Amino acid sequence: MHQPLCLLDSWSQENNEAVNKWKQLEGGGDALTRDQSQNHSRLIWCSSEFHKLLRKIQGIPPIADHTQLELTVVYNACVCSIAQSQFSEAELLLTRATERVLQMTEDDSAASDPPVFWRTALKSVGNTALKPRVLYLLCLQWAIWLATCQLKTIQGFQDELLSVFETLSAGVWEEERSASRRKSSDIPLLVMDQRRLIELLQICTLIAQGAERLSEGQSSEALSGLHTASALPAPRTLIAYTHLLSGSCLAHMSRPQMALQCYRMALETDSRCVCALYQSMLIYRQLGNTQAEIQALRLLHSTLMLPSATEPALAGAHLLPPSLLLRSQSLSSLLSVPAALSVLHSLALKCVLHERVSEGVECYLDLLAALHSEDQHGVHAEGPPLPKLPELYLQAGAALLMARRPADCMALCDEVITTSLELLPGKVVLEEPVEKCEAETGTLCAEGEDRVGMLLWVGAAYLLQGHCHIHLRDWKQAVTHYTRCFNLLVKVHFKKRGCQPQIPSADMVGMQGTDLCILQRLKGLSLAGRGISFTQIDQNREALRDLQLSMQAFPECTGAGLWCGEVLWRLGRRREAVACWEKTWSLTPQSSVQSLSVYLQEPQSGPLLDSTELRRRIQELRPTLSA
Amino acid sequence: MEGRCAVETWAEFGFSATCTPRLKFGLGTDVFLCPGNDEVYVFSSQDRKLAAVIECPAPVTDLVESRDKRFLYVACGSGVYCVSLQSLPSRAQSSPADASFSPAELKMSTEFLAVAEEGVLSLLLVGSVLLTLSQRDASWVLTSYRSSNYEMLSSFSLPLVSGDVHNEAGGKTVMRRRPLLTCVQSSVATPPSSPSTSSTARGGHLCLEPVLFKLLFGIDAALAKSPVVLCGLPDGRLCFLPLRPPGSRLRVLHSLEQPVVFVGASGVMETGPGHAQCLVAVGEQGRVVLIKSDKGGSEGGGNRTVFIEGCVPGPVMCGCVDQKRLYYSTGSDLLVLDLSAVSSEGEGQQMMGTSSTTDAALQSPTSLNVCRVVALAEPTCNTAGEVQLLGLSVRGQLQRMTLPVEREDARLPTVPSTKGGRSVRDLLSAIGDVCERASLLKTAIKSKNQILRHLNQVLNISFLLIASTNTGEPLPIQEKPIRCHAMAGWSRLLQTDSLNLTCVLDNSSPYVLEGGWTLSIAVFPLSRPPGAGGQSSSANFSFPFHNLHPGETLEVSLPLAAAGEASFPMTVSCSLIFSLAGLLGEEAANLPGLQDSCVSLPLNPLTVDWLHALQVTGPTATHRKAASRPSDTTDPIQAFLRSRRIGRGGRGEGGGETEREQHAASVRVSSELLRDTLVLKGSDLDAQGRSKVAPQNVGLSLLEWLLSEAPGGVAAGRQGHKMALSGSVIHAQGPNGHAVKLTAKEVDVGEEESLAAVEVQVESSSIAAVCGLHHAVLRRIQALLQTAPERAASTKSIRSLGLRRALQRAERLLQQIRQSQISGAFGVGVSTGQISQSLLSVYQELRENPLLII
Repeated sequence: MHQPLCLLDSWSQENNEAVNKWKQLEGGGDALTRDQSQNHSRLIWCSSEFHKLLRKIQGIPPIADHTQLELTVVYNACVCSIAQSQFSEAELLLTRATERVLQMTEDDSAASDPPVFWRTALKSVGNTALKPRVLYLLCLQWAIWLATCQLKTIQGFQDELLSVFETLSAGVWEEERSASRRKSSDIPLLVMDQRRLIELLQICTLIAQGAERLSEGQSSEALSGLHTASALPAPRTLIAYTHLLSGSCLAHMSRPQMALQCYRMALETDSRCVCALYQSMLIYRQLGNTQAEIQALRLLHSTLMLPSATEPALAGAHLLPPSLLLRSQSLSSLLSVPAALSVLHSLALKCVLHERVSEGVECYLDLLAALHSEDQHGVHAEGPPLPKLPELYLQAGAALLMARRPADCMALCDEVITTSLELLPGKVVLEEPVEKCEAETGTLCAEGEDRVGMLLWVGAAYLLQGHCHIHLRDWKQAVTHYTRCFNLLVKVHFKKRGCQPQIPSADMVGMQGTDLCILQRLKGLSLAGRGISFTQIDQNREALRDLQLSMQAFPECTGAGLWCGEVLWRLGRRREAVACWEKTWSLTPQSSVQSLSVYLQEPQSGPLLDSTELRRRIQELRPTLSA
Repeated sequence: MEGRCAVETWAEFGFSATCTPRLKFGLGTDVFLCPGNDEVYVFSSQDRKLAAVIECPAPVTDLVESRDKRFLYVACGSGVYCVSLQSLPSRAQSSPADASFSPAELKMSTEFLAVAEEGVLSLLLVGSVLLTLSQRDASWVLTSYRSSNYEMLSSFSLPLVSGDVHNEAGGKTVMRRRPLLTCVQSSVATPPSSPSTSSTARGGHLCLEPVLFKLLFGIDAALAKSPVVLCGLPDGRLCFLPLRPPGSRLRVLHSLEQPVVFVGASGVMETGPGHAQCLVAVGEQGRVVLIKSDKGGSEGGGNRTVFIEGCVPGPVMCGCVDQKRLYYSTGSDLLVLDLSAVSSEGEGQQMMGTSSTTDAALQSPTSLNVCRVVALAEPTCNTAGEVQLLGLSVRGQLQRMTLPVEREDARLPTVPSTKGGRSVRDLLSAIGDVCERASLLKTAIKSKNQILRHLNQVLNISFLLIASTNTGEPLPIQEKPIRCHAMAGWSRLLQTDSLNLTCVLDNSSPYVLEGGWTLSIAVFPLSRPPGAGGQSSSANFSFPFHNLHPGETLEVSLPLAAAGEASFPMTVSCSLIFSLAGLLGEEAANLPGLQDSCVSLPLNPLTVDWLHALQVTGPTATHRKAASRPSDTTDPIQAFLRSRRIGRGGRGEGGGETEREQHAASVRVSSELLRDTLVLKGSDLDAQGRSKVAPQNVGLSLLEWLLSEAPGGVAAGRQGHKMALSGSVIHAQGPNGHAVKLTAKEVDVGEEESLAAVEVQVESSSIAAVCGLHHAVLRRIQALLQTAPERAASTKSIRSLGLRRALQRAERLLQQIRQSQISGAFGVGVSTGQISQSLLSVYQELRENPLLII
């Protein structure tokens, strides 16, 4: 009789030592990255300790005296396994332990189906002293279901789980507490507090269910569940998630203002809830509130640049962080936030497109500096990837030009040109856009296939340089650069299916944003630029030819149209000039212009024609026309 | 490039390289060396001395020095450690002239741990970013850390290719290749001030021509002026990762389909200084890939990337590259390949539109005649323009090889006459080398053949022995090809008599018993001696021997027992043991498992019985019988003690303290049978004529036969009084010292019709002697009967023997035995002494009135 008692004591002591070691770390450790790996190794150590102890205990047939301790050790070992994401191992532990309990109560109806199995277990334990321990294990099973996204199983088991919660919260804790006060050294300790686990499980289940329903389109059902969840006692992060999810539900139900309210609550609850910020930015974008969108982007970026932003709040020292339990696909897509640089790019672009050029330029310069800095967080976040670097350079260049910094713009363009020029192909055949679109869906196309893109970048760089020279009123240089651009562009041949490659013309442009469209636009703009430059050095014939060609290539080019009229006027072909002007004014500006890159927009700088002056001329001419 | 290069051994480290060793030039004058074990050696090339030894807790896989020469990162087992090189004690401070200069030693402990990542295989330092490559589960993981605070920046993974190239190598003991990490930069991105003459910047960063760089790694990397990490994996893939625009991924550039051994850059055309035009990758089985850019093909499509692939002969252990040449070691030789030839040939073939494999140039590398190089550092140029290589040999020698200056005319087929003599010398010494190697190989083959022949003999013998034991009816001993027979004889040493057994192994098989065989003889009594209390005392003897040719015999002697100590009869079991260790020689003998591995083949067993152990004292020595025993030993006390012991110990003597009581047992054999068999046997006996005894004296001849014959292969050697038998009575002394008397007399058996028989009677005061002798005699006669020719026994004579009476007597005796058993069992009335007394009397009656053996 003396022997098993000693064994029990020593086992219990072993268990408590491991638990205390872990608790010590949890209490003292701060969440530095250096500590994280140490934390992990400590966890592995603890886990192996518990498993070793468990093997010892389970080495002998189940004895009633030992069961209390055994179940505690099973609980501890299982928590460690779950913390290391070894779910199947943990599940195996649970079933084995429960089977041993069943053996002892001589109820050998082991069912393979987990819910049935657990019901049997609960029934056979009845209301004995073992019941709380078995309930603890059930909680761990619940955690495993949650972590492995078996929400259906949890749904089916909901009643039992609820009753577990009630039973445990009713009496057991008090009982435990008094017991622990009695003789703390003998009671086997738990590595994770019971109450915290259950609270965590409850709110995480509600959140996961909410996310699932939201993705299935049952927004209103999701909303009610999330509402109850937000009232539960839980860490701030999780409460913030409930608000965030409610916001998303409301957004789905097309109540953007209420959604914004929810997002704000989420942020107020947990200031690190960047996804709320991101979601509200999306709503502002949807509402067309550009100023608010820019504001949100700015906030988002600065929040993301904080060192702690990428770290989940509770990841540090706790055994089961919420992120472990919330792993469903639908939730993670809701919680994802693009990378800081991507946000910065959106911000820059938005600023430039919405008359906040100087701000935009600053952002672009920040972005380029960040891209060149050696030290960067390469944390891969989902979301839109950054555009290719030449594209970024050109956008930045265009922004600089808008901000009247042509020298900087030219430097950037030079960079693009020198890098790419050597690689440009002699002749390019552009395939019909149908296939092209499909090819473009794969974001990672080989370098060779991107030759057209490269050619267009260099062309655009020349175009921007031309614009810069126009800005500087250096017409000859402008002509040179526009010519370079044009020469480059005529290398591209277009191939329709079943036809010979040919020089493309304006009527072939089918879709906005395709390579072909960009090509035609570039051609038109470069010819227009050259034409305008010619007008300034009084080469009106060349100017007229270029401007007319430009209008052929890209009919919507207003600058070309107006200047073409001007040249005609100068040449004395006044009627044609008036017709040209009127035709140009009659063109409706394309709504999709914004979808094109900044550098493909018509330049705002350069010599301008006063339209009132033009109308006056028409008015003057009209009597003669009618006459 | 003809000719040998000068090899200078700088240092010798007593290791043999196990895994792929690493040899790296530091940024200063130091050379870092990790041979694959737990140690890192820092060798100062200036002082030509080992400067420091760093001891790590686990095998070192890679190391890298920081740009400012202040830190050394070492990757081993549990993580990456960082040591400050300045902290290595007493380096530059101690004067180099100091004779007692010993390398600084440093033991790496956890306080130096920088990055706790398990199983880092390769390290790279790019600027302030530390990159590690490790293999985890099913993917290669490239992780970058900030080197200032070891914060993890990012991590990239590439799934493993399922069909590992290594498996194809089969059972060959290939050194496990580790992945390589190198950094490539576009040459416009590097500051022009760097004075590196070599295309490879010191510190392992390759500088690549911008066009090729852009072609290979993309515009983004070029625009961001990003360094690109190249990794050559053991599965043959060459992957790259631009560090800079974030979001770039680890991508595969090319696959060599064999473990990548080396990645480098070389300026093939040498258009500009410091630009490498060509990326070179070498695979373990000799595949070489040159990656370069090509100006405008037929389509007029600008620059393109060209992959020139080919194979060089032989496995490649390691390699390095300089401006024009690729140096690589096959393990048996160091070879030089002219890359410009390869490259131009490749181009020429591409122009013609054929495949881009270039064979001719690749198949003709120049040999440098340096063997066993397993690691090479980057080549350097000394002031005289000679190329110097630093290599590590498989035996752990750090060697510097200085290559002869390449002349313009070096590639011409005609060798200048001034160099003729030298090249002949070189050739001769090369031949000498080859000869030496060849003779070594020959010896090895010879010894292996020897072993095989030996093994063949062993197997033949084994089969022979197994066959002879396995066949249903055992061959008679005389017909066994390999057999043992023995001779027992008394000898006297230091006034103690002892019985010696001379065992003879007779090899009449056609095979030679060669070295490695051992004759093992185990001697153990057939029954327990009464006093030994259950433990059977057995003795083992083994006699290793060398060659035993067919027809030869091996004679060994072993002591059986001292007088009075053994219990007879004894079984002598002989076996031949062959141990594998003997076959493989001394080196193998040290292997722990091999010592037990041997084959044991049993030979015929032998039995030494009382008759063998008898010391015949003479036929007429009856009156000396009493005196003979004290005469055995001069010490009367001893004699007294012995007599006491025997008297008490021999329970069979019925508690009679008076030893004068004589016990007797007899065996009757029909004379006719004896006459037949003994004569039959005598005919093939020796020429002494003794056996051809007059047939009427059967008793005498029986006695003589009993004492001299060797049934079962054991003969009794009695030299002195061998033929002292004159009468039909023999007085002898048993091994326990008791006198015994053997009498053979002819008797007539039967009432009605007598049958001539010989009765052998054994008499002694010791019942043990009587029993033993009786048993021995019976055994002999039994053996005799087996050889006797079959003879129809006349039923009449059998009937006349009075069988019925004999049976009745036997039944009565049985009754008596049962009675005594019962009374013994119940323990009533009679004492144990009485019981044994009665049993003894039964025994005696049985022995005294034997049945006649016909």
